[in-house]
Amino acid sequence: MNRYFSLITAAVITLLFIGCAKDNMEPNKDTNDALKIAEGYAIGAGVQVQLYAAAPLTTGYNFVSIALTDSVSGQSIEEAAITLMPMMDMGTMKHSAPVENPASKASNKRFNGALVFTMPSGSMGSWAVEVTVTVNGRQGKATLPVAITEPRQNKLKSFVSKVDNKKYWLALVQPTAPKVGVNDLELAIYEAKGMMAFPADSSLAVAVTPEMPTMGHGSPNNIDPVHTGKGHYKGKVNFTMTGLWYLNLNFKKGDAVADNATFFEVNF
Amino acid sequence: MKSLYAFIGCLLLTGIAAAQEKDLTDSVRTVLLQEVTVAAQQRGQQQHLYRYFTANKAATTEDIMARIPELSLVRRGSYGMEPIIRSFNSNQVALLLDGMRIHGACTDKMDPTSIYIEPVNLNSMEVRTNGSSLLVGSSVGGSINMKLAEASCHDEGRFSGSASTGYHSASRAFFSSANFNYATSRFGLRATGTYRNSGAYRDGSGQRVPFSQYEKVNYTLHGKLKLNDGAYLRVDLLADDGWNIGYPALPMDVGYANARIGSVTFVQESGWRGWERAEAKLYANRVKHYMDDTKRPAVPMHMDMPGVSRTSGMYAEAVRSLGVGQKLQLRADASATMLKASMTMYQPGQPDMYMLTWPDNRQVQGGVAAQYQLRIDSATQVQVSGRVDVTDYALTSQGGKDQLAVFGYSGEQMGFVIPALSVQVSRKLFPSLKASFSLGMNGRAPSAGELFGFYLFNQFDGHDYIGNTKLRKEIGQQAELTLSWQQQKWKVQASGYISKVRHYIFGKINPGLSVMTPGARGVKTYENTAQALLAGGEGSVVYQPFSGTQLVSTLKYAHAQDNTGNPLPLIAPLRNISTLRQHFNALWLQAEMELAAAQRRVSVAANERSTGAFSLVHLRAGYQLQQGRVLWQLNAGVENILDAYYREHLDWGNIARPGRNVYMQVSVGF
Repeated sequence: MNRYFSLITAAVITLLFIGCAKDNMEPNKDTNDALKIAEGYAIGAGVQVQLYAAAPLTTGYNFVSIALTDSVSGQSIEEAAITLMPMMDMGTMKHSAPVENPASKASNKRFNGALVFTMPSGSMGSWAVEVTVTVNGRQGKATLPVAITEPRQNKLKSFVSKVDNKKYWLALVQPTAPKVGVNDLELAIYEAKGMMAFPADSSLAVAVTPEMPTMGHGSPNNIDPVHTGKGHYKGKVNFTMTGLWYLNLNFKKGDAVADNATFFEVNF
Repeated sequence: MKSLYAFIGCLLLTGIAAAQEKDLTDSVRTVLLQEVTVAAQQRGQQQHLYRYFTANKAATTEDIMARIPELSLVRRGSYGMEPIIRSFNSNQVALLLDGMRIHGACTDKMDPTSIYIEPVNLNSMEVRTNGSSLLVGSSVGGSINMKLAEASCHDEGRFSGSASTGYHSASRAFFSSANFNYATSRFGLRATGTYRNSGAYRDGSGQRVPFSQYEKVNYTLHGKLKLNDGAYLRVDLLADDGWNIGYPALPMDVGYANARIGSVTFVQESGWRGWERAEAKLYANRVKHYMDDTKRPAVPMHMDMPGVSRTSGMYAEAVRSLGVGQKLQLRADASATMLKASMTMYQPGQPDMYMLTWPDNRQVQGGVAAQYQLRIDSATQVQVSGRVDVTDYALTSQGGKDQLAVFGYSGEQMGFVIPALSVQVSRKLFPSLKASFSLGMNGRAPSAGELFGFYLFNQFDGHDYIGNTKLRKEIGQQAELTLSWQQQKWKVQASGYISKVRHYIFGKINPGLSVMTPGARGVKTYENTAQALLAGGEGSVVYQPFSGTQLVSTLKYAHAQDNTGNPLPLIAPLRNISTLRQHFNALWLQAEMELAAAQRRVSVAANERSTGAFSLVHLRAGYQLQQGRVLWQLNAGVENILDAYYREHLDWGNIARPGRNVYMQVSVGF
């Protein structure tokens, strides 16, 4: 009898609770300031520089934000020209990495930008971010040492174009929290012009083909990413179940295939 | 061997249990195939067939359904055969248990509601073809309502019951059931239990068919309380647990399947403010189903597929007379169903692959219906039925919505309003010949699987199926003519029907999609096709040349095609069952012959294979012995005596049916 009572009670309770959707537990992607990464002084500008990110910095694309404080008055600075320059010191040589410099106006007292680290720090060398600040005509540079780790899943790839032998860095920006369903797909692509210059690319045609390698199937109705600005290519990728997925990428320059061997792993 | 011992043990036990009085004939059974209340002659034919076939106490609910000409069974294994009416598919037929809606929890339809009904619980079966079915629900193919046996009250308080046990040789199956009733003038209690344990069966070539075994228990408790004159309250609880159920025609078996079904019914049987009879029921049920493939050899990747369905609902109906020869029946019903099914695949060393195969969804349905009967003169009767049904679907989880967004779902409304109307005229043309003609229009909302199914692999045509949230309702238009001729020794009935189903829902190959299931041939998406045409007929003859001798023969044929003239899948071929039964006092003997023509009209779109003709011969016998208050019944027989190796056209896979089977069943009632 008890089984029935519990069954009926369960049925009634279930009915009562139809429609009570769970709270959305997704992290807020816009929070680039959850974690203070480093701070220092831009001597010459008279400004304290603080570097924030949503999470510890890793190889690949990192949203960051900069907070500037007048070191005399202690007031937050809302307008400044900021140039970011990550620098890898490998002893015998130095190289930089792609960046997105913030706009000159702060939003919520933060200047939002991005850093694309191309390798982890460690025995090979160490990273520092040089932040050059110009406030009211006064310029100064803060050098902030940062530790870069390898993320659980690789978010950065590179390839050399078969068309013109140019080297490209390829950063996976989205999805950061992959789910079964339709996901935003965002790639940031930079050309590696020597050791210090990484201009954003807008010249490639990108096609994406998701694949579940253990089962050998893909997913339907994906939207190939197209360039939207600053080297960012946006599209949609669909996952029909959880598990390990490959995002197979194909790059073309004009009609010629620049690369078709690069893929990202997405595992969730 | 073990089950044979158990069988013998049970025989002994039943003998000991046999202590007291009364016969064990279950309550009255009826089949209403065309609901013609006044035309008792026509109804009599179907009732006659039903009674005739249930005289074999060893027959299961499915055995009986297989012999009713209007019904066919879709078979994926020896358990859970899916009853359909004519050539309509199971989504088009409303299958009700005592008026209750129960939604299967299996995405592959391995748990039709009929599995919860054991012969010991079955009071009667109402099969209504299109025209008259709209009273109980919206469907384009008709309705099957299996009525539960109920507790009864009796002026002298008494205890009665029965027990039976049986054995089938082909599947080394052992069945056992019992029921006990306690009745007083105020209240009645009834409890039943059934246990079935079937091994893998042997087919006509002598081979055991792997994964055709099953085991289950079913138990019910019924209470009845008289409230005042003519009014009573019923409480019915049913539990059914099946496990280790093999489906040889499918790539997966069932680890467990269980159902919990409960209802409270108020019945007013004598007149109340002009109403002849009124009934209202509140019910709730839950079905859990768990497919697994752990017992299958060489599975590339293990997976399991659990599903759960919860339904609660109510209906109220009442009948009243509106003067001489006029009758009005009203019914209102509503139900809410919540469904969820998922699939998890396991690859060692990797995270589990999980997806929703039926994304969490709920279906709310409500309808009002009325039926008006008018007897114009002693020979003519008109019946008009109407119904308006509203069905609304919604996805209830963000995960489910996200998943279907892959196929373009963007929060659209999925509501369906379905009007239905049917008119039937019956007329006695000659004293022994009666004709009945009906015209009807009905419809149905798409099923949850057709709307939301997510890469559901269909072994029948080897395709992954994708639901379509933009489906429209199906609309059926049907005409049916029944002639019945009755004389002292002969009862003959023939029906012909033609049905046009607009927006017929059918899986269409979607070349833009790639398969999910390894080995699948392609992906199909449910679409509304322009229309399908289903036609056919059934006939039956009952001939009683002498008292004690009865010849019963039924025949059916169906034809179904889509809008391009191509055959629809799963259409039963021409089929005849003839039986001759002879009674000798307490003993009866019966010879039975089943003939089925080949079915070569197959659906190429569904990769359907053709099926050869076959003929089967069965011999059955029954014997009754009354010892004081104790009634013994012995049923035994040999099915498929010639050990034919055959499959029926509605059987999935290339799986043969059982070969020669010797069965025996002993029942004792008191």
